[in-house]
Amino acid sequence: MQLRPALVYVRTMAVFVAVWWLVSAWTANTVLLPSPRVVFEALVDLARDLELFQHAGISLGRMIVSLVVACALALPLGFAMGLRRGFDEVVDPTLELLRPISGIAWIPLALFIFGVGNALPVFIMTYAAFFPILLGTVAGVRGVDRRLVDAARTMGVPRRTIVMRVVLPSALPALLVALRLGVASSWTAVIAAELIGAPSGLGYAVEWYRELLMTPQVMSFIAMIGVLGYACDRTVRAVAQRFTPWAADEWAR
Amino acid sequence: MSDGTGRIARGLALPVALLVVWQAWGVASASPRTPVPTHIVRAAIDLIGSGDLPLAIAQSLGRVFAGFAVAAVIAIPLGLAMGASRAVERNVDPVVESFRPIAAIAILPLAILWLGTGTPAAVLIVAYAAFFPIVVNTVAGAKRISPTLLRAAATMGLSRFATMRTVIVPGALPAIGVGLRIGMGVAWTAIVAAELAVGAKAGGGGSGGIGAMMFIFYAYSIELNRIVVCMIAVGLVALVLDRGLRAMMRRLMPWSAP
Amino acid sequence: MSAAASARGDAQRRIDEQHTSSAKLRLQHIAKRFGVQGVAQTVAVEDFTLDVAPGEFLVIVGPSGCGKTTILNVLAGLEQPSAGRALIDERPIAGPGPERGVMFQDYALFPWQTVWGNVEFGLRHGPAGDGLDAAARSDRVRSTIELVGLTGSEQKYPHQLSGGMRQRVALARLIANEPQVLLMDEPLAALDAQTRLILQDELLRIWGQDRSAAERRTVVFITHAIDEAVFLADRVAVMTAHPGRLKAIIDVALPRPRNDATRADPQFQALCQHIWSLIRDEAYRATVA
Repeated sequence: MQLRPALVYVRTMAVFVAVWWLVSAWTANTVLLPSPRVVFEALVDLARDLELFQHAGISLGRMIVSLVVACALALPLGFAMGLRRGFDEVVDPTLELLRPISGIAWIPLALFIFGVGNALPVFIMTYAAFFPILLGTVAGVRGVDRRLVDAARTMGVPRRTIVMRVVLPSALPALLVALRLGVASSWTAVIAAELIGAPSGLGYAVEWYRELLMTPQVMSFIAMIGVLGYACDRTVRAVAQRFTPWAADEWAR
Repeated sequence: MSDGTGRIARGLALPVALLVVWQAWGVASASPRTPVPTHIVRAAIDLIGSGDLPLAIAQSLGRVFAGFAVAAVIAIPLGLAMGASRAVERNVDPVVESFRPIAAIAILPLAILWLGTGTPAAVLIVAYAAFFPIVVNTVAGAKRISPTLLRAAATMGLSRFATMRTVIVPGALPAIGVGLRIGMGVAWTAIVAAELAVGAKAGGGGSGGIGAMMFIFYAYSIELNRIVVCMIAVGLVALVLDRGLRAMMRRLMPWSAP
Repeated sequence: MSAAASARGDAQRRIDEQHTSSAKLRLQHIAKRFGVQGVAQTVAVEDFTLDVAPGEFLVIVGPSGCGKTTILNVLAGLEQPSAGRALIDERPIAGPGPERGVMFQDYALFPWQTVWGNVEFGLRHGPAGDGLDAAARSDRVRSTIELVGLTGSEQKYPHQLSGGMRQRVALARLIANEPQVLLMDEPLAALDAQTRLILQDELLRIWGQDRSAAERRTVVFITHAIDEAVFLADRVAVMTAHPGRLKAIIDVALPRPRNDATRADPQFQALCQHIWSLIRDEAYRATVA
């Protein structure tokens, strides 16, 4: 029973590859739709001369930097907004005005300010990750079970200790969900930002090879984007599972 | 009563203060191209009056709606089938899950290779982007139908198809609504990104839409004020789309929370 | 005189006697109202007056919405009354504190802490642990866990425990702080009927029902279940709803220690019937209103 899902997965992907192969043989145009074998060979080449991993590493590095900055900004702000109604009322409208403007829309202005380079993707990605993390933090802090806070109060625990020792651990599952969303958001932004305004990274590589009409390479990098996106999501989930085992049902999807 | 107006006042305090500081900083630097609130307002009036902005938004929206419709028409039935049948889910899910981490914008170069830099490629990107949130939420909605409800339908003698129609679809509607809302938001972001990228690579002007217009203002005429007007427009349209969808959902499904 | 009539006579006597005996807890003309005066105001509790003697096990019974939880929250210091005074040892209750430990209906255990961590929490982070070094703290936690019968489960997490076990942890967490008063808000409500009976026995054992009143802690306990009230209590306070008022105080003269035999006692049945007759109409109205 345990093996069945894995086998079904392999079978489904095999069917997918088979259909792909047939269609590519029928169109017989390597630029339009290269066969799976050609793509695989390109992938192996790129991996062998490390180009695949260099770009991947650069994109990942940018994402990690952006997440750190976004968390450093969003977590304290989120806690302040979640804990103090007055603060929330002052700050929230401004944030709600900015939020609908997606990170992507900032690219032209950011290009003007930063130019093409490393700073642009990091700025866009930080902005993209900031809002999901902030919103999730506020929701997590507000969603802390009142009873737990009351229980601590009846034990005479002082307010600051309650924030550190009750609110924070209570909100941790929600914070990790917010982090997952931030990761997804910033990983999407990295591609757009690099495609338009960076001299390196996976988004840049995809565009570079498209201009050269080297579709197998384009597809290889796209696959890498998918694999890394999946791996990052899984990593955050694993961290959540390890550190918040009691909130398992929040991780069903 | 007085607390309500107090709250509005507190909420407006920060944005107004920021605007004032921004304006003051801009006045100090004296160039008419500096993006300050008053220049931005003037640029907005120009762009709207000349019809450029409404046209660009209309072009982008047209692509969004087309792509969104394509995505919904494929994703909703597929999601319901996956939610209702384990077998379907097991066979389709691996493909869906493999492509989900690949953002629409990463597919853009492929779309351009296949369809050129015009509207068909844009619609494809939008459809791809909107597909995943819609299908994921539809599956979740179909699965979340309480098994007791399904058993009740079975004991009343409903066929599989009738159960789908009368129990699963209405029960999953709120979740489908959530998926559509998220899908619309993603679709709008995707079209802006796609038009921006195409504008950057195809030499601008060719594709139209608000994303392309923003890029032209950056690369060719360096009109920062107009860029900001476009950014605000992007935000406003996103808000209107979301609120509009929510209102529609509430009208169609009065029994669910928005 | 019938058992019911004599119980009613006792009740009246008790209400009259209240003001003369020394009390651990005093509630004087407590009222709790929500909303603006005159306009759509909800009165949760009106003119509630009750004294609780030291070492007494007092149970409050009443239909839903009669304000039982509000009374408990006032005693706990989690809510302030709109009118009236709440006193402990003749001093006003200003806020929550470890000398009035609270047990909540859904246990409110910290899910990220083990059993040990939960029980230790109040000692570690609150004033109840002042003056205790790590070793003394450890001793107290261990003995409390033993008292509630959970030795061996110290490293388990709440989500790994059954309902009955979680209730014991909640009780242990409360007792470890050595409170003078235990306030319990329907603590057994979430348990199935069989576990409930077992834990009623356990609760009385842990409270120390075979010791003298001077050695026991004061308990104020809320429940819906009349048989539970009569089984546990020294006195039962019956409340009615809309607005919440004290209807009667019933003296439960059943001997201690109480056990299964007590439940078969005819006087037990009579008391249950009497209390039920007092709130039956209200309970019915709540199902059709």
